Amino acid sequence: MRSRLADLFYKNAAETPEKLAIWCDGKTATYKEMADLVSRYSNLLIKLGAEYGDHIAIPMNNSIESVALFFSAADLGICVVPLNPSLPLEAVKSAMNAGDIKHVIARSSFFADCEKNGGLNIPGFAICLDKEYPNTTPFQMINEMSDTRPSADHDVDGSESLILTMTSGSTGTPKPIDISQDNKYDRSMAHVRVYKITKEDSILAATPLYHSLAERLVILPLIIGATSILLPRFTPAIWLKCVEEQKPTFTIAVSAQLAQILELLKKPDAPQITSFRSIVSSSALLEASVKYELIDLLQCEFHEMYGASEVSTVTDICFQETKDKQKSVGKPFDEAQIRILRDESESDFDTDCAPGEIGEIAVKTKLQCKGYYKQEAMMRTAMIGEYFRTGDLGYVDEDGYLYFAGRKKELIITGAINVYPNDIDVIIGRLPEIEECAAFAYPDDKLGEIVALAIVPKEDQEINLRAIKTYCARNLADFQQPHKIFVVDKLPKNTMGKLQRMAILDYIRESGLDQ
Amino acid sequence: MDSVKDFIVDYIQREYTIPEDTDIMNLNYVEEGYIDSMGLIQFIAVIEDEFNITFTDEDLASEDVKVVGKMVNLVTSKMEDQSK
Repeated sequence: MRSRLADLFYKNAAETPEKLAIWCDGKTATYKEMADLVSRYSNLLIKLGAEYGDHIAIPMNNSIESVALFFSAADLGICVVPLNPSLPLEAVKSAMNAGDIKHVIARSSFFADCEKNGGLNIPGFAICLDKEYPNTTPFQMINEMSDTRPSADHDVDGSESLILTMTSGSTGTPKPIDISQDNKYDRSMAHVRVYKITKEDSILAATPLYHSLAERLVILPLIIGATSILLPRFTPAIWLKCVEEQKPTFTIAVSAQLAQILELLKKPDAPQITSFRSIVSSSALLEASVKYELIDLLQCEFHEMYGASEVSTVTDICFQETKDKQKSVGKPFDEAQIRILRDESESDFDTDCAPGEIGEIAVKTKLQCKGYYKQEAMMRTAMIGEYFRTGDLGYVDEDGYLYFAGRKKELIITGAINVYPNDIDVIIGRLPEIEECAAFAYPDDKLGEIVALAIVPKEDQEINLRAIKTYCARNLADFQQPHKIFVVDKLPKNTMGKLQRMAILDYIRESGLDQ
Repeated sequence: MDSVKDFIVDYIQREYTIPEDTDIMNLNYVEEGYIDSMGLIQFIAVIEDEFNITFTDEDLASEDVKVVGKMVNLVTSKMEDQSK
């Protein structure tokens, strides 16, 4: 038995070899060219010693080669562990431990960083993508490989892990979300059905490939014979130029991007964008005014969805079809059921809320991931029966529409990236001049939220903000950088002495520090 | 000057190779998405470390630090000031 994902892709390549499979950053590949690349990539991995079940880490950029790797991995029953290239080395190492990494594919700067910091201990091979680098195999070697799909020397039944998505930062235990080949297939097909995607569509992915959203948006088109448009990097201007030239018909965007794109679209010299038949906004509720202006300017079907990497998309709503539910994130996919759980601190734990009553959103879905890799206990804690506790708050109305009402988990979501504040607290807390500190979410027009930091200095200690910023720059990933730092006399805590992270912003504002 | 330029251009290409036909000295690497506003904070710290210089708040507020050539000039002049 061979990988269904790879089989579908190769079948499309055989049927429509000349069709455009993928565009990224001015480069293109037809289905035939893409199939050749995937085969050569597989042959390279095999030659270097990759075997069924191996895990390969890659600080991943958005490129045609990255997409080819997903299909090679699927074909060989290998698991890809995409990493955010901006992660500091400490976080990379902890992610690599958590993900049982055997091989690494990276750019030379990554290997140079590793070398400066004690080297990289992996049992398998290392491939350097951009140039020759000592003790690594140059990616260029792929050009010497055969473009024939390698024969299967191991069954691939679909239960194999295809992608481990790392969700936590530098110090907390990373939570590798384990997505199997079948998960990816089922999720793709659910989206194909709900959004009526066909092989005539050009599907735009404009988020980083180390996130599950973009992974879905590049794998889906290639298994149904459509075209993938992959944005190399996101800025509103690059997005607009790409859309103007490549004319995608469908995309799932994160709401923070859409707000920035709207700013550009409203300029007098902005191009007319008419290619989209449908756009889906995800990751956070889009402001109503932004939504209406976008619908007006883009003249296409407009959806919002709610979901999480663990459970994929849970609900969807199309605005043109449900004008009376404008603030809802929609009704569940056929695969999913939702419960709204009453607060566990009340005596009747795990009872369901009445319509209109806010509680924690829990989801039972056929699209759920395999689990957290080797963190079964963590997954068990997140489950209540067959339902996954999302950590989000919401309510359901009498017609079954879900409404998002905030977060229960202490999480900062900045430009659709999840930041765990505790990871930042631990790193900053190592500074000798600091008594205690806490990262928290600060509202931002562009990114939805930005990371802010409240610090309490030790008695008689001077705080040099610039030095703290430099320390952050060196020790935290880019998405973890605090944009605002407040020096406070204390942090808000409850009577048990537990930090009340959600109350920090109010405390700072009441103290007149938020100028 | 060359080593400063090489270092900066190398860093900017940590994730993506800049196309060969790019006018690198006039490249606004933030506008072009090679480094985002969050990554810029890190980049500044790395440069300060590497060349043992300090940027002022004014430097950081200016658009100049986002353009390769202007950044190279700024770093070079700071190194010269320090060696005087």
